[in-house]
Amino acid sequence: MISLTFTLKQIAVNKIDCSRLTPNGLAGLSLSQIENLSLLNTKNSPKVSDYFEVSGNNNEHIIFKNSSEQLDFIGQKMSHGSIVCQGDVGDRVGDQMRRGLILIDGNAGDYCGSRVLAGTIGVHGSPGKYVGFGMKRGTLLLLKAPNLHATMQDCGTHNLPFLRLLLKSFKSFNSKFSTLTSTRVQRYCGDIANNGTGEILVFKN
Amino acid sequence: MRLMQINGITIDDTFAEAFNMRGTRVIITALNLKWAYHAANAMTGFATSVIGCGVEAGIERELTADETPDGRPGVSVLLFAMGSKVLMQQLETRMGQCILTCPTAAAFAGIASEDMINLGAHLRYFGDGFQTSKLINGTRYWRIPVMDGEFLVQETTGMVRAIGGGNFLILAISQAAALNAAETAIEAMKKLPNVIMPFPGGVVRSGSKVGSKYPKMFASTNDAFCPTLKGLVQTELSDDIESVMEIVIDGLTFDDIAKAMKVGIEAICALGENSGVKRISAGNYGGKLGPHHFKLHEVLK
Repeated sequence: MISLTFTLKQIAVNKIDCSRLTPNGLAGLSLSQIENLSLLNTKNSPKVSDYFEVSGNNNEHIIFKNSSEQLDFIGQKMSHGSIVCQGDVGDRVGDQMRRGLILIDGNAGDYCGSRVLAGTIGVHGSPGKYVGFGMKRGTLLLLKAPNLHATMQDCGTHNLPFLRLLLKSFKSFNSKFSTLTSTRVQRYCGDIANNGTGEILVFKN
Repeated sequence: MRLMQINGITIDDTFAEAFNMRGTRVIITALNLKWAYHAANAMTGFATSVIGCGVEAGIERELTADETPDGRPGVSVLLFAMGSKVLMQQLETRMGQCILTCPTAAAFAGIASEDMINLGAHLRYFGDGFQTSKLINGTRYWRIPVMDGEFLVQETTGMVRAIGGGNFLILAISQAAALNAAETAIEAMKKLPNVIMPFPGGVVRSGSKVGSKYPKMFASTNDAFCPTLKGLVQTELSDDIESVMEIVIDGLTFDDIAKAMKVGIEAICALGENSGVKRISAGNYGGKLGPHHFKLHEVLK
């Protein structure tokens, strides 16, 4: 099984809504069905093949190659599987995600991990504004300190034992996260604006 | 009766009678081996016999950092009970009181099975709402905030069909000789996987028979092997036997126990007849209670 791979054809001028390109949204679809899939629920919606070259057959593990800040809503509402983005991504990565894993090698746009219910999102580059906005549970892994809004609470620096297992599981992914080993992180919790106990873990050297 | 002698020590033509049990394995890790042992010793404490302890448990072996899920040193622990319900109850209370409480300790499933039982699934409520779970490669773990940091525990572990009550008896001319032989056997048997010897130091001196003169007692002292009763009861002991000790073995499979019995008995026989050991025998209830019979002569083949 080869990971389902979406290669962005060129840097798009407009934003692309990727909310359908999740393991949930693509379950059971063949390669040609995926290529002809409408990205939006509108009459003149662009198709997947208008922007992406698609290959692979494992819809449970998705790779975005050549990804850019134009790609919004990656992994929205996903509840299983994994998405690896080899490049930057746009706004609202993992919005309302329930389970699964999203790893981003580049930068993320605004509202990264917004309204996350559970699951794991890793951003190797810099995240935008309002990281973890409305987060309920789940884990955001960051390497660069984010600009957090007031309702994300600093819980101090710790060595978290579960990170050994989590980082070990990343080794099978073709991602910059596969080489991480440190388990020492600054832990921020929230979003307490909606009683959230999600966490943003920022790796320390 | 066939006669079998190894190095001058007689091996009785008898068998050990063993029972079906339910077993599980738990891997306990900690910051270092010292604290992994503290946790494991607590968890396997007061677990010599199902008669009074609920489970029979022991440390199976040490694990290096490469062998454990979280890359820390650890030990593997085996627990056996007469039924799945008791095993689940005992595992839960022992996890809660001995592993959750032990500084730096973490616990993981040590055996795969179709029957999965709770390891940390209920312990999570100790987190009072601050507990979080992580699904990593399809396995669920719980992270429970505690005063030393975070307690990490796998949600479930496997439960398997196992066998308990494999045993052999060491008949010697003195207490010191029997104890020395028992210690030698345990040292050799501890190196084997998939078995534990649940009694203190692996050795039991109060072997039992079924029934008693007192109606409420299910089991009582095995008078036929008690050296001080030689003249009173139908004894199994000759004049020169002054002390008998037993080694009981619980294991995951018949072959595991048979191997352990063989290794233990051979270690004793290697000591020779000058060790004071005269005979090796085994405990059974006439063969009607337990479905598994370990015939000494066949085990030693």
